[in-house]
Amino acid sequence: MDSSVHLDNVVMNFGDFTAVQKTDLKIESGEFFSFLGPSGCGKTTILNMISGFLEPSKGVVKIGGKSMAGVPANKRPTSMIFQNLALFPLMTVAENIEFGLEVRGVSKAERKKTSDRLLELVALEGSGSKKPDELSGGQKQRIAIARALAVEPQVLLLDEPLSALDLKLRQHMRTELKEIQRKTGITFIYITHDQGEALTMSDRVAVMSAGKLQQVADPITLYREPQTSFVASFVGENNPITGVVDAIDGNLVTLNCGVLGKFTGRGIGTISKGQSATLFIRPELLKLGQTGDMSFTARIAEVNFEGSYLTLTALLNQQHAISVQIGAEQYTADLIPDAEIQLSFASQDAVVIAGEGNV
Amino acid sequence: MFKQLKARFGSSLSVGIIAIIGIWLIGMVILPQLIMVDYSFRPNLLPSEIGTDKDTYSLNNYETLFGNSIHLSIFAKTIWSSVLVTILTLVVSYPLAFYLAKVATPGQAALCILLLIIPFWINEILRTFSWYIILAYKGPLNALLLALGLIDRPVRFLSGDGGVMVGMVYAYILFMIFPIYNAIESLDSNQVKAARNLGAGWIRTHYRVIIPHAKPGIATGCIMTFMLAAGSYAVPALLGSPGSRWFTQIIYNWFFEGGDWNQGAAYAFLLLLICIGFIALVMRVFKVGLGDIAR
Repeated sequence: MDSSVHLDNVVMNFGDFTAVQKTDLKIESGEFFSFLGPSGCGKTTILNMISGFLEPSKGVVKIGGKSMAGVPANKRPTSMIFQNLALFPLMTVAENIEFGLEVRGVSKAERKKTSDRLLELVALEGSGSKKPDELSGGQKQRIAIARALAVEPQVLLLDEPLSALDLKLRQHMRTELKEIQRKTGITFIYITHDQGEALTMSDRVAVMSAGKLQQVADPITLYREPQTSFVASFVGENNPITGVVDAIDGNLVTLNCGVLGKFTGRGIGTISKGQSATLFIRPELLKLGQTGDMSFTARIAEVNFEGSYLTLTALLNQQHAISVQIGAEQYTADLIPDAEIQLSFASQDAVVIAGEGNV
Repeated sequence: MFKQLKARFGSSLSVGIIAIIGIWLIGMVILPQLIMVDYSFRPNLLPSEIGTDKDTYSLNNYETLFGNSIHLSIFAKTIWSSVLVTILTLVVSYPLAFYLAKVATPGQAALCILLLIIPFWINEILRTFSWYIILAYKGPLNALLLALGLIDRPVRFLSGDGGVMVGMVYAYILFMIFPIYNAIESLDSNQVKAARNLGAGWIRTHYRVIIPHAKPGIATGCIMTFMLAAGSYAVPALLGSPGSRWFTQIIYNWFFEGGDWNQGAAYAFLLLLICIGFIALVMRVFKVGLGDIAR
């Protein structure tokens, strides 16, 4: 069954405020798709437009190729998992799960069968007669998933459902969500401000900022080939160094960063000589010693031991802080604050994006 | 409680506060009620006979009601009409409370609440008189309906239960709206969205999600409205007489026209007892506990 979601030139305005700028995006059938962005970037608005709680100001939402214009929320083939779960506290777990079926006039026996099957899927057999308040956070989470799946939606919408859980449980639920998605094969649309969640679970991620889609790509491409400085700095850690384009050689762009020196990286998008641009190099791609073709010295300001790796904060020319991540096995006793170190990176590992890089 | 008061206000002030509350509660609320209970069990005697052999406790005053079919029927009608008033008030108030709590913007809600409250700055008798004018045989409502061609001759709204109902719904609407409003307001809006999202239409969303949540508020509003309606005097006296008599009017008559306080007190307690019993019954039927109401 076609359960793709097409945001066909959708715009959402609230009065003078544009919450979502013109967006044209197709989410494939059976895909695990995430919208990633800081709070207020418009990702929840998109979710509300897909679910039917909001009608777009312009454009249409299509689900499975069918226009959803004018179709109210209760008639759409979508199902949502809310940030606060919104389980019905006065109903039992089974009644919660069966609610959507009750609405559809499914017989009691059939409903019971479905809720038993779903409770088994989320590994909570026998909890049907409990009230949601008697369950732990993770269990409630799974009930919310079961409730949403009970109506056999074509599209499951997830609004930061893991944000209230503790770290261990969150990681566990990620695997579980992915597993459920694989088993059911329905389209998952996931909203989050947590890049870890977006990168680990998704087939594709759309990064949003200020109501605008910044980049839509699979997690690896997003991490390695950021298209905008927002993506470069929002997804993962990155060290920005701003300068003026000094030379362009094939795909390599050299920036003159004044007192910090000259740095070269791969140019992304259109960049012309003389304009200001920002080079981004990831902390784990900066190496100790002179292995890469871009090398420079810096002074250590801080050393943080994080278990399997170390984070060094180093000052370039006494002023520009950059962070460097090295494996714990590379630690030596002379990595102490105020020590002078040699750092390098391969210019192919760094990206250069036009603009000041301020986000 | 005394400890907390003492910590806050010091001992002399605390003793003062508690004394005032005590005097108020015992002297002005509990004692008069007890005196009325005492009255209700004693016969109505001349002052000179009080304390003599004739002054004995009995249930005679209570039995009077059950021997008087007119009083009994008025009693039953009072209870029944109060139920109707409660239902009508609920029907009018629930949508309004829902609108105020979940639909209206804060500005709209504030304006609406203000508009609801302003009439209540005016004395109840005056408000009831205004309905007397509106509903009068040659009043504005009849004139409007005639002008619209909906009726071809004026309707006698007053002197019957219709006018009393309208007046009472109007008089007690706030006591119904506010508890329900408070209850609905505390409902997480995502619950409504979740129900919609799972396919529920508006009616089902209300009766499966919103009303169960608002039940304590609805119960509180209904109890208040019912008690006020059953114990109302001004509205039936002004809008219902002489066609519709309320039990409170009979109690009034015993006290001030019959001069029989003992009989009046017994009637008043019967009304109170039946009302409490009725409320307990309704709470049982709708599975609302006292704890829910205090919530």
